[in-house]
Amino acid sequence: MARVRKSPAAGGPVGAASAATPLQIPIPFATPATPATPATPVGPEGPPTAATPATAASQRLWFCIYLPNLPLEACGAGKNALAVVEDQQGVHRVRLVNAAAGEAGVMAGQSANAALALLPDLQLEERDTLREQQVLESLAAWLEQFSSFVSIAGNNVLLLEVAGSLRLFGGLPSLRQQVSAGLEQQGFAASLAIAPTPLSATWLARGGRRACIRAPENLVSMLRPLPLHCLDWPAAISEALVGVGANNVGDCLRLPRQGFARRFGVKRLLELDRALGRLPDPRASWRAPERFCADYEMTEEQSDQGLLLAACRELLESHEQFLLVRQLGTQRINFSFFHLKAPATKLALGCTQADRSAKRWSDLLNIRFERLSLPEPVIAVRLQGGHTQALQTSSGHLSFSGRGQTTQRHSMTQLAERLAARLGMQSVNGVTSLAEHRPQHAWCSRNLLSTKVSEALSFVRRGLKRPLWMLPEPTLLHVEQGYPLHLGRLTLVDGPERLETGWWDDDGIARDYYTAVNPRGMRLWVFRNRNPSAAWYLHGLFG
Amino acid sequence: MSQESLNKLLENPRVWRGRNSTHTKTGLSTGYKKLDRHLPGGGWPQQSLTEILVEQYGIGELQLLMPALARLSVDDPLTPYAEPGWIAWVAPPFQPYPPALQQQGINLSRLLIVRPKDDGEILWSAEQALSSGTCAAVLLWPERLDDQSSRRLQLAAEKGRSWAVAFRPLSARHEPSAAALRIEVQARQQGTCIDVFKSRGGRPVTLHSIFSS
Repeated sequence: MARVRKSPAAGGPVGAASAATPLQIPIPFATPATPATPATPVGPEGPPTAATPATAASQRLWFCIYLPNLPLEACGAGKNALAVVEDQQGVHRVRLVNAAAGEAGVMAGQSANAALALLPDLQLEERDTLREQQVLESLAAWLEQFSSFVSIAGNNVLLLEVAGSLRLFGGLPSLRQQVSAGLEQQGFAASLAIAPTPLSATWLARGGRRACIRAPENLVSMLRPLPLHCLDWPAAISEALVGVGANNVGDCLRLPRQGFARRFGVKRLLELDRALGRLPDPRASWRAPERFCADYEMTEEQSDQGLLLAACRELLESHEQFLLVRQLGTQRINFSFFHLKAPATKLALGCTQADRSAKRWSDLLNIRFERLSLPEPVIAVRLQGGHTQALQTSSGHLSFSGRGQTTQRHSMTQLAERLAARLGMQSVNGVTSLAEHRPQHAWCSRNLLSTKVSEALSFVRRGLKRPLWMLPEPTLLHVEQGYPLHLGRLTLVDGPERLETGWWDDDGIARDYYTAVNPRGMRLWVFRNRNPSAAWYLHGLFG
Repeated sequence: MSQESLNKLLENPRVWRGRNSTHTKTGLSTGYKKLDRHLPGGGWPQQSLTEILVEQYGIGELQLLMPALARLSVDDPLTPYAEPGWIAWVAPPFQPYPPALQQQGINLSRLLIVRPKDDGEILWSAEQALSSGTCAAVLLWPERLDDQSSRRLQLAAEKGRSWAVAFRPLSARHEPSAAALRIEVQARQQGTCIDVFKSRGGRPVTLHSIFSS
């Protein structure tokens, strides 16, 4: 009889107990009992605080980092006056200013023109949310040293779960000091707060309170004086709350739950419950993208190129395997060759399209390796993969036509990469033409490795004569008895074509272009400036 | 009697007759009828090296290639490629001027301009471009091109099914070369004159005022 073990479902009292603790979530809708107690306040005095969520929350400690000036800091603010502007209903308005601009009277909310009128050499930067996100992610990656659980909440808030990190970092004050010193060193103005729930930590940080609450029972008293703007609720709700006389969190907690939910939405009530730890508030953990790093240790000092390349190839193959199982590719790979005495020799490889193929990387490596001078024999090789990104893969053709060579023709970027790897990026170019009358501005170089390919339009009329060869700069021609000379006296055979344009910048021209022939049969494109005593210049050759 | 012995000689299998052997291979039309008539295959020899010898630039040496290059750089059902090929310019002496190239009908988005620093790099780049299978034509301006290098270019052109065009000075005329076609471009009073002095499977010929027809 001592072994009577009732299953909880069979026991009547268990169900009764759960009825005694009112459900916190669906308050206004499924509450048959509440009409009897209509004025249950939102706050802790009201419905009994469930014991279980509170203890669960007490196991956690959330460290919130709020970055109010992130838009400014993401621009890489220097000493100069700087303001971040944002497009608000068609008007550029100042969103944030740095200290130098603030001293001159530039304030948030001013229009960009007003700010410029106050401070003519004010630097205006358009707000770049993408960049902010990148900065936030790099900060999150940095914060991973303090906690295994980093979360990005919203566009300027970072959350760390630090309960597990306290012993390692020597207690809360020391941890807080390390984080704050690190942020300051990186140039971020941050407001820090520590609380048992993520939402309360966020609110406290937003309120600028240097709060550090470890015990859940202290939470309510700390949250009460917080003004409503710290909650980051929509303006309409905040105004409505002020309308009913609720100016801070404490006032909200005193309002009846049901009425609060009906007037301001269940979502807000749930937020209050989560902040107080009455409801669980799960957060998504953020992880820095994985990188590959592997070493290959030589059994002895090695200077043979073939063996070193074989070692590199082996590393590249394991790199490929690493990326393959994650369906990723990378655009950069760094090799380090370690020597016994000399500092390590570095070799960085890059390609335009993310790739993981060991063969392609080792092709690039071969080209670079030929020219690499190693000061000493190598004892170890390290491969570090760059930032990984999802790989765009394409299926191969199933060719029925039997024209096997066509598949090879897609490899222009590969060729350009190979050439650029040996000759340097600036030596491999494409060209495109521009809509411009001035001959020297009618074209520009195009980076072949950029993915953007714009169709070049033809701007020059067919009738106009343009030479196939252009000199980088016009060369001055000597003149003999009024005739220009270039390997003999020039005869003008066509022209003039008058080009007089470009007055809007400093490079305006007023020239008469002619086609000339010299005794050796060369056809040249020459011009003279539009004034009587002007000299003759050679600008191109009709190749 | 002489006719008889000549026929006898020609029947000998050891006698190689150039004219017939390469007629099967079609050339890339130069765009100039006069020149097409005198080149074996009716045009520029594909998948091989062509040498163009000039005393100085600016006498129509590029104009000679333009119709063929324009055909290569745009989609053309007649060319045996699925998509238009690239045209690589390795170490051009001046800047190829894009508006003029467009006037000639060349698709600028298919142009690759490579500026290597020394002669070794010029040949390396040209070989890479030729053998990659990406470039329909590779124009190069080497400082020197010995017999061995020309052979390498020839092999690379065959491998990548590309057309190599090397521009060289007149002094190169008496140097040996593996090029399939060697021509000299001269500027004359009556117009540009072309001297075909080596043509694999064809015969040497001199053509006057090529652009006028």
